[in-house]
Amino acid sequence: MATTSGAVQSPLSAVPGLLGAAVFEETGNGQFAPISTLPEWLPIADNPVNLGDQFPVMELFRDEFEAVWQQPEPARCESDIWTEADPRGGEQYLQALASNAGGRRLLIIRALPQETFTRQQLAHDLELANERAERATRAKSDFLAVMSHEIRTPLNAIIGMADVLASTGLTPEQKKCVEVFQRNGVNLLNLINDILDVSKVEAGKLELESVNFELRDVIARAFEVIEIRATQKGLRLLREIAPEVPAYLVGDPNRLRQVMINLLGNSLKFTERGSLTVRVERDAQDSYLRFAVADTGIGIPQDKLGRLFETFSQADSSTTRKYGGTGLGLNISKRIVERMNGRIWVESKPGEGSTFLFTALLPAGGPPEEQVLPASPITLEQSTEDIGVLLVDDSEDNRFLFMAYLKDTPCIVDLAENGEEAVRLFRQNQYDVVLMDVEMPVMDGYTATREIRKIESTRQDAPTPVIALTAHAMADMADKAREAGFSGHLLKPIRRAVLLEALAAHAKPTHARQPAACTVSVDAGMEDIVPGYLEKRRVEIDKYRQALAGGDFESIRMMGHKLKGTGGGYGFPVLTEIGGKLEELALAKNAEGLRAKIEELAQYVNSVKLEFKR
Amino acid sequence: MVKKKVCMLGSFGVGKTSLVMRSVKSIFDAKYHTTVGVKTDTKLMVCNGRELTIMLWDMAGEETGAPVKINQVRGAAGYFLVVDGLRKATLDVALSIQQRVEGEVGKLPFLLLANKADEREQWEIDDVAWNDLRQRGWTILETSAKTGVGVEEAFTQLAESLLKGEDGND
Repeated sequence: MATTSGAVQSPLSAVPGLLGAAVFEETGNGQFAPISTLPEWLPIADNPVNLGDQFPVMELFRDEFEAVWQQPEPARCESDIWTEADPRGGEQYLQALASNAGGRRLLIIRALPQETFTRQQLAHDLELANERAERATRAKSDFLAVMSHEIRTPLNAIIGMADVLASTGLTPEQKKCVEVFQRNGVNLLNLINDILDVSKVEAGKLELESVNFELRDVIARAFEVIEIRATQKGLRLLREIAPEVPAYLVGDPNRLRQVMINLLGNSLKFTERGSLTVRVERDAQDSYLRFAVADTGIGIPQDKLGRLFETFSQADSSTTRKYGGTGLGLNISKRIVERMNGRIWVESKPGEGSTFLFTALLPAGGPPEEQVLPASPITLEQSTEDIGVLLVDDSEDNRFLFMAYLKDTPCIVDLAENGEEAVRLFRQNQYDVVLMDVEMPVMDGYTATREIRKIESTRQDAPTPVIALTAHAMADMADKAREAGFSGHLLKPIRRAVLLEALAAHAKPTHARQPAACTVSVDAGMEDIVPGYLEKRRVEIDKYRQALAGGDFESIRMMGHKLKGTGGGYGFPVLTEIGGKLEELALAKNAEGLRAKIEELAQYVNSVKLEFKR
Repeated sequence: MVKKKVCMLGSFGVGKTSLVMRSVKSIFDAKYHTTVGVKTDTKLMVCNGRELTIMLWDMAGEETGAPVKINQVRGAAGYFLVVDGLRKATLDVALSIQQRVEGEVGKLPFLLLANKADEREQWEIDDVAWNDLRQRGWTILETSAKTGVGVEEAFTQLAESLLKGEDGND
């Protein structure tokens, strides 16, 4: 190792904090001679040495260092830190300093303590570990979504067929057997929903609504769920709402109800006599409410209270076997309450009962908006007109089930086993509604629906309702379905009543039922002007179509407005109604809706017959 | 012998140092080690019959509050942009670094290395994102410092670009 000594005390002492550093002085042409004892981590074979060759990083600082050396006043300059391999193994974190102390061209290289960078290493380690953990959680969540789909699909067939079977003539014994299928099928479904909820929270996908709702209604609907079982046990259900609690709140009524059902269901399980009470009062904090679900059950030992809200935790593992349940409900409740900015806890005395309490940030609100019901009060079964249905599902069991559901309804069903077959049938026929499974071989439901929308667009047809039949319960599935062009979606398992309700809401039997050509009586004295009025409306159809193609909503709005104002006067109340709709749709710039309405108008004006009164 | 400076750029923890270690020393250490500042290494290559010395500048990964020092890229003949396929955010960081390099240093040959190919099944970055970049004319190679997959190919491809550039300048 090259060492040297020299009169270095003066320059080194002029540059503080450099004990143990290697000091060089430039001898010219980029050569440096060491003028201090060199540390072990810096073996230098040559004297003088070209430090630029030794440390390529030096090229970064060369210009700045040169500026320091050329300064007449005392000056110094530090380089960025860099890493060099330590000849003894490991690494050294180095920094170079240029100094013109004593009018000399000094270059000092010092090693920084390793500990200086420990914090940075730890921060990186922690961040990478967190990201790894998040990836694992996401993988678990994806796995659960897939498993949920796989379980829901056969469950759809089991629960559905049990419903179909229950509606046939059964002996009392057979009926009891079917009830076992139904009850256990629903229990299994609830369990899957709970597991999914946990995974949604863990994946950060639990979205809360913020709508107006009525508190009493939420409690009443929670009671409805447990009412039968409570009555069977002889338990009273009580509700105590403090007068200062607003009647209407803003928040997520469904999730609040879910928490109440979980807590009430839990209390019900462990209570044999007495009552279950839901109490609501204002919490000490503004806008916070405090809810309590109190029971007169067996209670919970003090040492078990803390673990109750953990995933898969019940007070006693033997509890699961005796009372059933997984303990997921309480964990989900805790997570929902936390999303409502509240907290949940329990107070209990063994033998006297338990009270589960939670707070939630629920500001006062107004009455909820009325639910818009389908326009027609006629149920599907009462409908006298045929409805053309295209049912697409790769599972033979499910096709069989839906066919059983649609028996004794006016639905005329075509079957397809995959998306490709569905698209082919859609090209050849016209349907009032398409029921489309999402995951299928050959072509999936998303692709098939996109294809169907393309066909309609080419034909300039109004969009046919396409309802997704899906076993995917994750929230992003609904978004994906909307993007693909689905009109709505039903989550498997699908009960018969739900399917019929959806069909009644979506299916407008325009294809299976061509509107009968209607006849309008023309009053005496109007016979000269009514045919002309009608003819103008026929001619106007093209103007509507052109305006729509050009995105000229304003012209459509004006024509619609005029139609609304004149139709009734000429004896065509239908035109007034269509005109009003056109005006509304044009204002909303709803191109799809307009396309359908314009075709309805065309069909009407081209088919209506006039009868002249004498 | 031709000597070229090549920088390893990317977010922290994407495997820049591991790729250098795999390429220069044929070793892989699963334990993560943060690079402080910049660390240089030398790789000798023969490319199209020509000897080439690559001065590898393994630069500290970018992190919030500590951007890559683009001025340290000056003098480089090319660079590798390294992305961790498991972490989508590292692609955004790479895109940002590439823009800054182009803005401050100029257009240089570079390859995007989609690292950690041994865990490809769990990648967060999907093919759509890679294909978008390929359509922009970027060359993307999947690499694994752990198994060595794609690493030598990456160096060979970049070396070819560097020499091609040099021939063009002749």
